[in-house]
Amino acid sequence: MARHSTGDAARAAPKFLNLAAIRFPVGAIASILHRISGIVLVLALPLLASALGESLSGPEGFRAVLEGATRSWYAPLLLVGVWALVHHIFAGVRHLLMDVGIGSRLAPARASAFVSIAAGVVAAVVWLALWAVR
Amino acid sequence: MRVFSGQRAWLLQRFSALAILVLLVLGAFTLAGADGSAYERWHALATSTHGSVLIVAFFVSMGLHAWIGVRDVVLDYVHPLALRLPLLAVVAFVLVAVQIRVAMILMGAS
Repeated sequence: MARHSTGDAARAAPKFLNLAAIRFPVGAIASILHRISGIVLVLALPLLASALGESLSGPEGFRAVLEGATRSWYAPLLLVGVWALVHHIFAGVRHLLMDVGIGSRLAPARASAFVSIAAGVVAAVVWLALWAVR
Repeated sequence: MRVFSGQRAWLLQRFSALAILVLLVLGAFTLAGADGSAYERWHALATSTHGSVLIVAFFVSMGLHAWIGVRDVVLDYVHPLALRLPLLAVVAFVLVAVQIRVAMILMGAS
């Protein structure tokens, strides 16, 4: 019975599992985006192999791949791939540099995390802008 | 699966990342140099010995890098074995299929 009387205090222990209430540091955001962009790139790999085959199938196929990637109605959707590639490369180089001890202190790590997030977003916006003025 | 785990996976992830980076830069410079008769130049490049070696190296590096990355993500987030193993099997199958596809494309184009 005595054990049950402490149950209230145990039940009152806070659990911060509400994702919306948790403030993620910029490094955590760069990290999870590194994973998400990696998955996007894995999904894109079979498409890239298809594009390779199409581009080597003849002048028609080659033109179709270039037109599809730059001028078609679905070209803007490729911004997901552009974002994933650029973010993954920036965040990946950031990790490689940290592996050899460059920029692993808090201030530069936060700055480079911000840069890698911004680079992906800027690349996606540039891709959209280039499509708009094609 | 043991072949690509622990420190070996860690190292392979880093070295494949560097290989992909170098191959992407090489590829970007090569494609930026293309002009006029773009298809003929692209076809000649992709079917040349060094061109096809670089393309195969790129896809192999991507396949290895992708496998380690997906494996890490699946092991972190997919806990039921009944889901995890089929998922990893599908990924491995697709990644191997991509390699075969690329080899067939290059052999067919040359």
